[in-house]
Amino acid sequence: MSAHDLLVAPFSYEFMRRGLLSAMLLGVSGGLLGCVLVLRRLALMGDALSHSLLPGVAAAWLLFGTSTVALFFGGLIAGLLTALGSALLSRMTRVKEDAAFGSLFIVFFGAGVALISKLPTRLNLADFLFGNVLGVSASDLGLALAVSGCTAAVFVIFHRSILLETFDPVFHRATGGRGGLVHMGFLTLTVLNLVAAMQTMGVVLALGLFLLPAVTAYLWCDRFTSMLLLSVGLALLGSVVGILVSFHAGLASGAAIVLCLGFMFVVSALFSPRHGAVGALWRGGSR
Amino acid sequence: MAPQAQNILLFRDATVRYGRLTALRAITLEIPCGSSTAILGRNGAGKSTLLRAVLGWQRLTSGEIRIGDAHPQHARPRLAYVPQRHAIDWDFPITVRGVVEQGRYPSLGLFQRMGHADREKIEGALEELGITDLAARQIRMLSGGQQQRVFLARALAQGGDIFLLDEPFAGLDLFGSEELTHILRNWEAQGRTVLAAVHDPEIARRCFTRGVLLDTGLVAAGPIADVLSPANIDRAYRHGQCVHDRRARPAAAADLPR
Repeated sequence: MSAHDLLVAPFSYEFMRRGLLSAMLLGVSGGLLGCVLVLRRLALMGDALSHSLLPGVAAAWLLFGTSTVALFFGGLIAGLLTALGSALLSRMTRVKEDAAFGSLFIVFFGAGVALISKLPTRLNLADFLFGNVLGVSASDLGLALAVSGCTAAVFVIFHRSILLETFDPVFHRATGGRGGLVHMGFLTLTVLNLVAAMQTMGVVLALGLFLLPAVTAYLWCDRFTSMLLLSVGLALLGSVVGILVSFHAGLASGAAIVLCLGFMFVVSALFSPRHGAVGALWRGGSR
Repeated sequence: MAPQAQNILLFRDATVRYGRLTALRAITLEIPCGSSTAILGRNGAGKSTLLRAVLGWQRLTSGEIRIGDAHPQHARPRLAYVPQRHAIDWDFPITVRGVVEQGRYPSLGLFQRMGHADREKIEGALEELGITDLAARQIRMLSGGQQQRVFLARALAQGGDIFLLDEPFAGLDLFGSEELTHILRNWEAQGRTVLAAVHDPEIARRCFTRGVLLDTGLVAAGPIADVLSPANIDRAYRHGQCVHDRRARPAAAADLPR
């Protein structure tokens, strides 16, 4: 097989070009958001949030068919309900936030699976859960472009506020920053990106495109801006390689991308010179 | 000579309630600027609440606080805040210079880049605290005392004249504490105002000239030696807590970079 067959020929298909573009666009925004998720220790919450989108998307599908806009708002509403619901639960009962989030998202996810089993049979639960690059329509691509563009713009414009709120929220507030606003805006952006990434990545795997590049970059960088840039670069690389692997090996696109990104993460966790495990063993300490 | 109004932190009947819990009860107090003041009291006595109220982001249930002639929210450019050590993620991908630069962020517009004056303030702060050589280091790669100096430098770079420190001695080893005492004494000598929540009366005695002793209400305020009289301490800490309850400290080695 020539290099042309391996790297270029797959993209003679339109669905492949769309899938690739969608994954790359969301790689840019996911790479950025992932850094904040990792640094604020919200990784598991992001995971829960992505699962909770399912009933919203399924309900929208039942009511309005395959309209991208309807799916988008369905997912958005379900995600925000989970986030707000668990915040309220933890404030008004003795249940702590992690347990509240964990309980709500699993109920939402169950409801989603139940709803999907009631959907017209042509739909495949697996596509919802793990993504199908074949399913990326032109309007899905438009959504990815809009969401990715918004996220990147927010990170450029509010770079300093995001850094302050992530690093030292108390200082941010003490100097007149709007901490709550930044946090809510961040959650909303996360849900938007998860919904947009659902076609290619699936609700279960979408977070991989956000989290893995960021946590890999975290193992290499000692500056916030370089972490953001490296994370975006890794997400782009993982998207391209993942889509190609999925084409040649006949794998679900979301799974292929996550596996590529996961490989980079494992290699970095082992061999990053300053923050990797092997280096730490070599120096004869835990870290 | 009485200090001018511009140079006083004034509390008048300042009260903070969270639901049924009273965190700060009718505090009436004047703190002259240009001195270093320790805010003392047992856990839950209202030290942090008082600091937060001065910063303007804890609303008072009743009463008022004035900084000079201004409400705390309008006095913000004068205030600089140093957080507790345990509130900081020391693995965060940021360098010493990166943290000190944050001191300039509040005064920069959304699209405004840092100018010459900002750079000068940052260099000046690094220089004054003797961490210019460490500027490119990630913040984990510092000793406890050096880490504390980074956050003091950020406060300096903010350009305020009133410094609010939340438990600055917590988690510092002996050497770090000595270093910090030295710096804070210098600041006072230069006419800067330092207001710090302090857990340990012994440290307060060594490092601060004035004290405010709280037990949600005000127990005593004034020169530190008077405030920390045995009778006052007994009143402020009477809730079954031992004054010399020094919580087990990690060995000095634990404070060095890993």
